[in-house]
Amino acid sequence: MIEQYTTTNKYNFPQPTTDTTLPQRFLEQSLHSLRQVQQPFQLNPQTPQQFSPTEQYPSSIQLKPQPIPIKPDHQETLIAAVDTSTIKIGETATGMIIAVRGAITWCQNRAYKYTRLGPFIFHITEENKNALYNTLEHAYFSTSYSSTHPSAPNIMQMPMRLASLLERWLQTMLARTVNHGIILFDGSLTSGTLDTPVQRLKEILGYARRNSSIVLAFSKATTLRANGILITEQLPNHDPPYLLETMGIHSKPPLILLGDVYVARLNRANLAFRVDVDKETPIEQRMEAMQKLIGNDLYTQSYPETLRLSHILCTFTANEVLAIKHFITRKYGIQIINRPDMHRLLFGPFGSGEIYT
Amino acid sequence: MKLYKKEGNLLQIISFHTESAEKGDYLLVEDQDAAKALIAQVIDVQFAAVPGVLEELLRTLPDGGESLQGEDIDPMEIAPHITYIQDASLLICKIRATLENEMLSPSSSWLPSRSQSTIKKLSIPMLMKLAKVDGKLPIILGGTKDSSLLTIDASAIDGTLNIITGKKGCGKSHLSKLLMVNLVGYKATVVIFDLNGEYTSLGMSNDGKRNLYYDKIHTLAPGQNFKVALEQLHLNTVMGILVNALHLPGTSAREFRRIWKMLKEKGKLNMQELGEAIRDLNCNQHVRDALASRFHSLANSGFFTDCPGEATLLDESILKSKDVGGAIVINLKNTSNIDRQIVVEYALGKLVDSLSNWKLKAVFLFAEEAHLYLRETYWDDIVTRMRHFGIFTTFITNQPDTIQETIYRQADNIFLFNFTNEHDLDVVSRAARVDAETVRSIAHDLPPHHCLTLGKVVSDFPIVARVRALDIKTMGETRLFFKE
Repeated sequence: MIEQYTTTNKYNFPQPTTDTTLPQRFLEQSLHSLRQVQQPFQLNPQTPQQFSPTEQYPSSIQLKPQPIPIKPDHQETLIAAVDTSTIKIGETATGMIIAVRGAITWCQNRAYKYTRLGPFIFHITEENKNALYNTLEHAYFSTSYSSTHPSAPNIMQMPMRLASLLERWLQTMLARTVNHGIILFDGSLTSGTLDTPVQRLKEILGYARRNSSIVLAFSKATTLRANGILITEQLPNHDPPYLLETMGIHSKPPLILLGDVYVARLNRANLAFRVDVDKETPIEQRMEAMQKLIGNDLYTQSYPETLRLSHILCTFTANEVLAIKHFITRKYGIQIINRPDMHRLLFGPFGSGEIYT
Repeated sequence: MKLYKKEGNLLQIISFHTESAEKGDYLLVEDQDAAKALIAQVIDVQFAAVPGVLEELLRTLPDGGESLQGEDIDPMEIAPHITYIQDASLLICKIRATLENEMLSPSSSWLPSRSQSTIKKLSIPMLMKLAKVDGKLPIILGGTKDSSLLTIDASAIDGTLNIITGKKGCGKSHLSKLLMVNLVGYKATVVIFDLNGEYTSLGMSNDGKRNLYYDKIHTLAPGQNFKVALEQLHLNTVMGILVNALHLPGTSAREFRRIWKMLKEKGKLNMQELGEAIRDLNCNQHVRDALASRFHSLANSGFFTDCPGEATLLDESILKSKDVGGAIVINLKNTSNIDRQIVVEYALGKLVDSLSNWKLKAVFLFAEEAHLYLRETYWDDIVTRMRHFGIFTTFITNQPDTIQETIYRQADNIFLFNFTNEHDLDVVSRAARVDAETVRSIAHDLPPHHCLTLGKVVSDFPIVARVRALDIKTMGETRLFFKE
């Protein structure tokens, strides 16, 4: 039998025909919000600087004891990953200044490439948060699922929500453009949250399926427990790489889990991660996707390098935060002032508040 | 630029790539509220410890180790600001003086405002003006980095002890020539112990023609046009040669003194009579042998003659230079080690003689690689005793450790060229008018023909300058086998 060869799928993000409305709106809203800053803004805000998502998980979970071995499949497959990051730059008298950035990384022929989008800088206030969020969401979705939700988020949640918005848009772009590839998401496939309406995630997964791509969502940390122990810490004595299947995960409304949850241990490093795979993907294709993932990507820390790079590339370094402060001072004449740290002020060396170096 | 730290007399200043400051540059840190300013010199340029830079660099390298390729869509154009912060540098500066009411003081005891101080570059001409480095006898040493001229005053070399040092081929002799011709131009008398015969053509320009110094350059080649007759010598000078250069023991020296006086009384003070007197001397055999061997050394040097017509006296050259200035080049190129010491011993003795009799006001002595002909005990003599007679010495060497530490401690001016060797820099940094950090940091990176000038001539503000070219025939080049 003569083996059939097909042309290599080309990764061509962003396509010229791709809807680029969101970045344009992000930029417009960013510039608009910064022009409204009247007062100096303050450093050392009292709220946490980096935002991390919080998730709620269903209970009564069981972990199948028999691991599913994975054999690397080296058939050339595009691996693409997406991640976003947000950071608070400082506070103003009326709100806060934040920065958002997204990164897409892809691995083809063992070579990694990336596209970074941002940073976008926003001045968020109680007055502009609704308009800002709704404008961006409207630009993103043809149908606004957020209409069922009670208006715009709390101001403290805005950084995460804006980052989520950008992340979902980037995920959509990947799902619509990558053919026969593997798309890696950061986090889980849980929907029904404020920033991930069910229909929105369903749409993304649907785009990927139509392009014969498979979505795998890797969680860096999980709170899912089976018999009271974290599912990623119940690793059987079996040679990696393998997957552990979970059972009995029943999401509580309004949360809906659109993926099946696995625990993946990809190499001898004693690390395992929760992996969500699109529920509607047939079992064989899921296994095939995992095999292609480990056959095409690096996973030195038991974590796909493509996704690791996405995370690293979008994260803000201290140097970049300084540069952003420099930018807003120079471009918008916003003066930076230091606000006293109340913990330090009141408790001296016993103040357990922020630590400055 | 922003003031970051002050520790002792060191300042740390944050600078950005748009404000180019390099080693050797001077900065004025002005605190308007205090109505004072610090004058500081950049002695090192480092990367500023900007937080997050390591992460920034590391994240462009994936596990494979090759650089990560990609595209940054940066609609707000933040990237230039990131680069701006990332490329920030930290200038380590040495405080040289405080400027208050247009007066300079060496104090660094006050603290300028970190937030309000303004920092700007201080040009060399402005610095020289503030330091009042000017005078009626300017010598242009060369050009500084900011395209201004470094001009010193010849009077700042007057009465001083100077050292010109640096590794081979970096331009030491060139600077010596520049100083010499300028001093001669100001009618000074200059004596040069020319070890390699490279100063003999000071009177010729590059194209081989006579220059304006031609008539003022007196080249004396020992044994050729530079000979002396015994009767023209003072006993002390001869004794100096015998004891210091030829190591004549005390008993034999006493015997020689007796012979000398006897011959002088008879009016027969010449080499032939001296030889016969020693041969016929009725004394201990060892003493006679000692005297005979020294006599043969003197006779073989070719430096002594019995024909008064052949004897060119140093006095004559000194006399010629006395009023109009001149350089007496004593060419030691083709002389043996012993003969060299005899000649130097004679010349120094004669100079002290002339100066102590006020035949000469003062003399600038340039001694190249002096350890090759100067006896141990002479070093201190030159910098202490002879200075009072009016001999102002400039030592030129590429081996700084051959000059005694006491000389460095008393040096008034140091012209320092490039040194790569840490040991050499350590030696030079012992000089009293130099701080070790400046020497180590700046001299290490000096390009060829660039000189770090330290000391009195620059009012203790170390300045780097490229030594200017001279239209003088070059004689100091190394002879090469492969050069066509």
